[in-house]
Amino acid sequence: MTSRRIPGATRPAEVAFTYAGTPQRAPTGEALATALACAGVLGLRRSPAAGTPRGAFCFMGSCQECLVLVDGVPRQACLVPVRPGLDVQPVPDAMP
Amino acid sequence: MRQADLIVLGAGPAGTEAALAASAAGLDVVLVEEAQAAGGQVWRAPYPGLALPKPDEDATAGAALRDRLVASRVETHFNARAWSVNTLPEGGFRLDAATESGPLSLAAPRLVAATGAVERVIPFPGWTLPGVVGLAAATVMLKAQAVLPGQRVVVAGCGPLLAAVAAKILASGGEVVAVVDRASRAEWLAATRHLATRPRLLARGLGWALRIAGRRVPVLFGHAIHAAEGQDVLEAVQVAPLATDGSFAAAPPRRFMADALCVGDGLVPGAEIPRLLRAPMRFDRTLGGWVPQVDAEGRTSIPGLFAVGDGALLRGQAPAVHAGRLAGLAAAHDAGRSDAAAFAQASAADHAALATLAPFAAAVSRLMALRPGAVRAIAPTTVVCRCEDVTRGMIDAAFEDGAREVNQLKHFTRCGMGPCQGRSCGDVAAEILAARVGSREAAGCWTGRPPLRPVPLADLLGEFDYADIPIPAPAPL
Amino acid sequence: MTETYDLGVIGGGVHGCTAALFAARGGMRVALLERGPLCREASGVNAGTLTLQMTRLALIPYAMRAHAMWAAAPTWLGHDVGVVVCDGLSLAFTDAEAELLRFRATKRREAGAPIALISGREAMAVEPGLTDRALLAGHCKVDGFANAYLTGLAYRRALLKAGVALHENRAVTGLEREDGGFTARTATGPVRFRRVLIAGGVWIERMLRWLGVELPIKVLVNQLVVTERVRPVMRTVVGIANGLLSLKQYPHGTVVVGGGWQGEGDRERGGVALRPERMVGNLRLACHAIPDLRGARMARAWAGLEAETADALPAAGPVPGIPGAFVCGSVHSGYTSGPYIARLMADRILGREPEMPLFPIDRLLAPRHAGTPEAA
Repeated sequence: MTSRRIPGATRPAEVAFTYAGTPQRAPTGEALATALACAGVLGLRRSPAAGTPRGAFCFMGSCQECLVLVDGVPRQACLVPVRPGLDVQPVPDAMP
Repeated sequence: MRQADLIVLGAGPAGTEAALAASAAGLDVVLVEEAQAAGGQVWRAPYPGLALPKPDEDATAGAALRDRLVASRVETHFNARAWSVNTLPEGGFRLDAATESGPLSLAAPRLVAATGAVERVIPFPGWTLPGVVGLAAATVMLKAQAVLPGQRVVVAGCGPLLAAVAAKILASGGEVVAVVDRASRAEWLAATRHLATRPRLLARGLGWALRIAGRRVPVLFGHAIHAAEGQDVLEAVQVAPLATDGSFAAAPPRRFMADALCVGDGLVPGAEIPRLLRAPMRFDRTLGGWVPQVDAEGRTSIPGLFAVGDGALLRGQAPAVHAGRLAGLAAAHDAGRSDAAAFAQASAADHAALATLAPFAAAVSRLMALRPGAVRAIAPTTVVCRCEDVTRGMIDAAFEDGAREVNQLKHFTRCGMGPCQGRSCGDVAAEILAARVGSREAAGCWTGRPPLRPVPLADLLGEFDYADIPIPAPAPL
Repeated sequence: MTETYDLGVIGGGVHGCTAALFAARGGMRVALLERGPLCREASGVNAGTLTLQMTRLALIPYAMRAHAMWAAAPTWLGHDVGVVVCDGLSLAFTDAEAELLRFRATKRREAGAPIALISGREAMAVEPGLTDRALLAGHCKVDGFANAYLTGLAYRRALLKAGVALHENRAVTGLEREDGGFTARTATGPVRFRRVLIAGGVWIERMLRWLGVELPIKVLVNQLVVTERVRPVMRTVVGIANGLLSLKQYPHGTVVVGGGWQGEGDRERGGVALRPERMVGNLRLACHAIPDLRGARMARAWAGLEAETADALPAAGPVPGIPGAFVCGSVHSGYTSGPYIARLMADRILGREPEMPLFPIDRLLAPRHAGTPEAA
């Protein structure tokens, strides 16, 4: 799945942030999960017990599947607005 | 600590209307909301600076609600994650929230809980693949983010959201590969009589259906998702016909290539605060499952605690508006701002509206209700608890091991112990157990505990010195 | 016709279950009555800490034997209950705490616990996740922890296998002496036994009153917090000199924080609410000790009830004046020492001499006044 921004909408200016060290751009204020999906990043983490790939599922802060580290703090990507300079990293695996 | 007359938790349609009504009646109201603006899910605001090409009536209604809030005297706290609610020994409530500017503590004699519903998805193999999202999630993506979920989208589940999402994708220039509806044509026909009590909404729904038909999108009534396929992301979807009881019929599945699957099988009231504070609950499938016992104005049996909106009784957006207003008026009345006669007069219209809206709400609720046959059909290797990868088979094994009630099931399997706190799996897991123990009542209700949502310790702790920590007296030697 | 069991155990926590298990293996026909599911009260919701560094002095010999039982749980219980044996550290951050720690660690070592005093720096070598702010630490190489919520499942299987007549979700509402034995009243009919063991945790006060015995029990409402699964941040079980922190990370990644911070609750309602400022205080203490814990999220908190007698020592032994009646509970760190004390109890009930002394309750009894209203 690659999300696609719907043409015809007016959006704020794009800003730069990083995900896993790689540079990204998205309109400021867009949800991080959306921005990453539009950049082709859907798998955000692995489930701790079975290690299966997971990404944003509910988009309303309920399912906890879109967890990422934003400036070192665990946050749900569907609730975090893109801001310039955000340092986003995948959450480390729970236990080896 | 900020003392107020009324705390409202949740700024969806119900919570915002409650806050506005109470404030207009003279109460000092504080409204706490996790999202960045009021509107809940159905009237979710586009993010700041985003303007949609064609705002629909939900966008207009949401904007109007937000404008009224700004113009009011309600004190609002957005991006505030409430994590703890307590009853106070002297009566009233304390709420603690983590906000962008640090911890927030509020106290008030009355509290309106309007925290909304969560979407239920009946598990199928592959439902945890990235690329599979909820129907409500699709709505958020389309309306609040102005993005299409994917290039080739399958839309599945039950209820009115199905057609709404499919039509919106088409209207936004996307492609819908199939619409997969658990309900049969006969179920929809049977519902039409009640849906017709709200002609404008029925017409809107028909409009969605026409758009879908006009684009020649296959609509498969009486079908459901059999499996989602893909290695690291969704690649294809298998769809199969249903038997009359909601389980899969014997016929082989059809396969659609897709990069997005939007699936939702109804909504479940969150009821977090009533469960947390141990307000009496009851099980009512027509209202979404376990619901708090409330009176006609939303009062629970805990003095001062109101529960309204889809987070209490699942009745939809229009009843939520009226239920919220009633709770706000009732809170003001209970606080002595209006006498019985004035209150009766002020609340009459909302009571009448709820009665008028009831048949439509009931019909939608039936369309969205959990189908026990569909739950029975979940295969043993299918993951039910997403957070902890607990499968249907593990839940059945827990019953064999003696688990008779959901909280015991949790101890036996870790189902519900993950960060989603049972939101994604709880209703389905309870239904699986209920089939063995005889009823949902017997299977029980998930115990509510703090935090209301997982909260980063970094948000809670702040900066402190060791000497700041109020350590109680040491344990005896 | 109802059969008369050799032993009726009232209360399905660790004490009741262990005593029932060993009594059954000793040849008795045993019935166990529990008003809810097994081990769902303190036994299922405690922090699972198996440490000698917070154990009461008098209980250290018992805790050491119980620790060995927990470590060998697969042999006698048939389930490992998630037991991890690991280093334990009890920390001191201030001079006053260091003095307290020196005193307590020395006392515990004299009582037989293998506890050494090490510097903060040495402690960091034992626990790489440790802060550099600790002045002193008590170090025990054989501390550890169990996964409390697995306890019920484990005992249930073992009890059924041992042939115990297990009655969950069956509350006992009264107990009478009849025909040289006892009759327990329940909503679904009476149950008769020749001997009775009262093992009802914080509720033993109410139960003993059925037999006309007044044993005041204080109820502690202990708060606990667990994080979601996180990357490894610690490898030991950590506490503080004053005993008010327990902290461990489970193999599956969650971190449980406790230490006896008090929430709200009582015998009637259970542990109903947590105090937010106390959750924050408890978590600050934990993050002070293990700084990387700050990167985690709190996922769940709860409160459980713990029983405490007037002298904070167990109530374990025969009920005075009531032949055939026994009580076992209120052990303080009852999870740690519970299996061993309950096993001693089973020996006593079987008519054998327990290898260590029990804790007769004569010392704790309040004088009985006729007409005293039933206190909460």
